[in-house]
Amino acid sequence: MNIYINGTGCISPQETAQGGLLLATPREYETVRLATVDPDYKQWIDVKQIRRMSRVVKMGVGAANLSLEAAGLTAPDAIITGTAYGCLDDTGVFLTKMVNQQEEMLTPTAFIQSTHNTVAGHIALLLGCNGYNNTFVHRGFSFENALLDAIMILKEGSAQHILAGGLDEITNHSHQLLTRFGLYKKEPVKTMELLNSPSRGTIAGEGAAFFSLGITKQPGTVAELSGVSTLYKPLWEGEVIGHIMKFLEDNNCTPADIDLIVTGRNGDIDHDEIYEEIAAALFPETAEASFKHLCGEYPTAAAFGVWMANAIIAEQQVPEAAVFFGKAPEQINKVLIYNHHQGTHHSLVLLTAC
Amino acid sequence: MADLKAQIIEQLNLQEVAPESIGDDQPLFTKEGLGLDSIDALELIVLLQQHYSIRIANPEEGPKIFHSVRTMATYITENQTVKA
Repeated sequence: MNIYINGTGCISPQETAQGGLLLATPREYETVRLATVDPDYKQWIDVKQIRRMSRVVKMGVGAANLSLEAAGLTAPDAIITGTAYGCLDDTGVFLTKMVNQQEEMLTPTAFIQSTHNTVAGHIALLLGCNGYNNTFVHRGFSFENALLDAIMILKEGSAQHILAGGLDEITNHSHQLLTRFGLYKKEPVKTMELLNSPSRGTIAGEGAAFFSLGITKQPGTVAELSGVSTLYKPLWEGEVIGHIMKFLEDNNCTPADIDLIVTGRNGDIDHDEIYEEIAAALFPETAEASFKHLCGEYPTAAAFGVWMANAIIAEQQVPEAAVFFGKAPEQINKVLIYNHHQGTHHSLVLLTAC
Repeated sequence: MADLKAQIIEQLNLQEVAPESIGDDQPLFTKEGLGLDSIDALELIVLLQQHYSIRIANPEEGPKIFHSVRTMATYITENQTVKA
């Protein structure tokens, strides 16, 4: 059974919500923390409801709506989201009030909105979708596991159309904490120079990308979701290489069949080494595109990578801002997205033009 | 009542609502009025506690107290002991 990406929607630090050609006017930043370019959310959400929504909820609802609009759907049969951090802003508000007010007179709004499944719940409420609704909170595999769940549900036949997506936000609190862990560059860096940065750390990012998946192809469908696979804490690069070979074999192809690899390089010299090794071992001549200099690093950034790969297949060209190595062939048929988060969560997603 | 309207707007994060646009007798919880809901009711109870140190002893009085800004103001005036 084939699973098709019938519509996509993305809200990110690039102007991805506006439609038009992929990265036609890429936004360049000089910072260690990227923020989303927000569309006018009132086009999807009533003013009375929007007042209780934090940024991550709005970006999730917005990206979900963009995806459904692209697929020509009014309501899916199931909604599945993946988020590592969840609704951090409301969690921060609730905990701050708890401390400041000595656990007295706490208001319900921030507490209700602070749970990880708030976004999937809001999408369902707005669409009137009473079907399966689930949220995966699996750190760097949150988005991939949402996709895997969607694939399994579609294959077992209990749904025809599924809305699946990944999303995460940065808040001042979380950025401060993650900075202390040494995840980010110590000095602001120009985003278009990030991937050649010779130092440790990367830049923080955030965003939401949603996919309307179905077992039937729609008129605007350009790609099939051929496979998803994850690998946790590989001991050495040979294990990743073996995993990729097995994944490609399971999907009836070889490295030579891949027209483009989309990697999660993030400009951290320690974390990017594995991409070099994989490219050298399996894809020495294959064109490579990257995306984390465009959206920043966050646990569900692979969703942006998959969104970008789908758009590349639609346009049959790699935008200059995303090119890392080589030149993609005229016909881009198979795209492999290889990403890892903090060296522990490695994932593969294979898209095939249809 | 202008202060109370501003407090309601802040507590409920009523974006794009100006204090002067809320009528003194405009119903708070009907679609024709401000269109508030049950979560807002909880927020208003907390507002009374935080700003006026008033606890509503009888929950059944809620609909009467929170009917409009004027009924809220009247209840505050009648029950306020310490103004925060």
